[in-house]
Amino acid sequence: MNRINAIAWNTFREAVRNKILYSLLFFAVLIILSALAIGNLTLHEEVRTIRDVGLFGIDLFGVIIAVFVGVNLLYKELDLKTVYTILPKPLWRWEFVLGKWLGMLLTLAVQMVVMGVVLGIVLAFEGAHFDVPMAKAVWLLFINIMVVTSIAVFFSAFSSPFLSGFFALGCFVVGRSVPDIRALGEKVSPGAKTVLNLFCNLVPNLHLFYPSGAIVGAEEVSIHRQFVGADYMISATSYGVAYSVVVLVLAMLVFRKRDFV
Amino acid sequence: MTEVVLRAEALAKTFHLGFLRKRVEAVKEASFDVHRGEIFGYLGPNGSGKTTTLKMLMGLVFPTRGHAEVLGRPVPNREAKRRLGYLPESPYFYDYLTSEEFLDLVGSLFGVPRRERRERARTLITRVGLDHAHGRPLRKFSKGMLQRIGIAQALMGDPELVVLDEPMTGLDPIGRKEIRDLMLELKREGRTVVYSTHILPDVEMTCDRVAMIFSGRVRNVGPLSELLTARLLATEICLRHNVGTIPALPAGANLRKAPDGMMVDLPEGADVDAFMKAALAAGSSVISITPRHESLEDLFVREAAQDKGAA
Repeated sequence: MNRINAIAWNTFREAVRNKILYSLLFFAVLIILSALAIGNLTLHEEVRTIRDVGLFGIDLFGVIIAVFVGVNLLYKELDLKTVYTILPKPLWRWEFVLGKWLGMLLTLAVQMVVMGVVLGIVLAFEGAHFDVPMAKAVWLLFINIMVVTSIAVFFSAFSSPFLSGFFALGCFVVGRSVPDIRALGEKVSPGAKTVLNLFCNLVPNLHLFYPSGAIVGAEEVSIHRQFVGADYMISATSYGVAYSVVVLVLAMLVFRKRDFV
Repeated sequence: MTEVVLRAEALAKTFHLGFLRKRVEAVKEASFDVHRGEIFGYLGPNGSGKTTTLKMLMGLVFPTRGHAEVLGRPVPNREAKRRLGYLPESPYFYDYLTSEEFLDLVGSLFGVPRRERRERARTLITRVGLDHAHGRPLRKFSKGMLQRIGIAQALMGDPELVVLDEPMTGLDPIGRKEIRDLMLELKREGRTVVYSTHILPDVEMTCDRVAMIFSGRVRNVGPLSELLTARLLATEICLRHNVGTIPALPAGANLRKAPDGMMVDLPEGADVDAFMKAALAAGSSVISITPRHESLEDLFVREAAQDKGAA
């Protein structure tokens, strides 16, 4: 466990010392702050707008940062040949992948907290507060980026950053559209429906992590009125963790067999 | 019988490169043993397969054929890795770390307790002469400094076996001497050192045994004294002379200018006594007589030429 901790901590330290990440975080904070200005343009909907724009900013930049860091996570180690120094140490390859992934999750968690705190300050500015539904929404977005990160790491175990980024973002877009794809399946032939259903079961259902406005248990849930309950939170979190673990294990298997030329 | 700490048995590696999966045989057959407590040189020209062999032994590349053992265990093995230190070729480290942070990371991978890690890192930084770089990130290190910190990280786990891939690359003569001295010191401490290189004078000064690899095939494994033939290749005679006092040269001999006078190279089999008598009789005085036996460079060049011929 100490070895995994060491790799995770080093990955976190690398991210903290990476100026590009600060730039992305800066833009994320800028979007959240812009929610204040946009909210003031609306009539009596300031808080609602701040919540929507703020969550949109956290979601968008969370995913961008997850993909950006995720696709480079293993590729950079190979490209810069740092892996030649680390892997001959008493460390299994899967421990290395797991450590890198955990370090990245820690980085993303800290960024989510920073973005959440900024959003909380902006809400306080308008006399509202960062309530339980908001905390639940941010938690679900964190699980969302955990899944995206795992996918990005999986592709980066055998592909270039460009292709990995392309595939990871593709998975994100398709994953968010799973309900729409299923709805499309109702309108096509039974054969095509089976294929679409199979496809939907394979890609991550990322729509689960952005439920505001969706129908859950025959009721519309919203961050502004009635948000999801504890059972939804547990099942969505379990799904996200399970999906991430499966993808991460696949990444470990690919990495295990690689020649580091 | 000396204990074998590293064994390569008919190791081979074929890569399939590019979109067309072009077949490249990086190592065709590498077999050698390294004994405990010795300095072992792995020699070969650029692109001969030295680094690929070492990568197979370190578990970074999987062999296509053959078998590798490190410290009595098949590669890769975590217990063996715990007792092993490795410096890759042209090392690149996490450049955002300072030398202390980097060694601390390496120490934690070896499971060294925190306090001991700090102590060990401090000692090693002093040992490789990097005290002056305290607190400086590795990105600001020169190539020689990176090589030194690379050696320090290889020693962080207090290894029995140290494997260094081209440790002299990029070092100035002073740096090379320091690394040579360090290797001899490691040997005195009872550690085994394996290093790859194509800098032959360093090998002659440090290695107990060597293996040579040409075009992916290992040849000539053994002690230098056994590999180099004892036969006399030439005799170099340095003469101080006045104009016209050099006697007639025997067939195959060469005459060239030397700082102290004239140098005569007499070929193998030439009558040295007769030439000396003639030179003295002609009024020359002898400054030195040096018999020249086969050097490692001679052997290396001969083997490389044979390899080229065979190809």
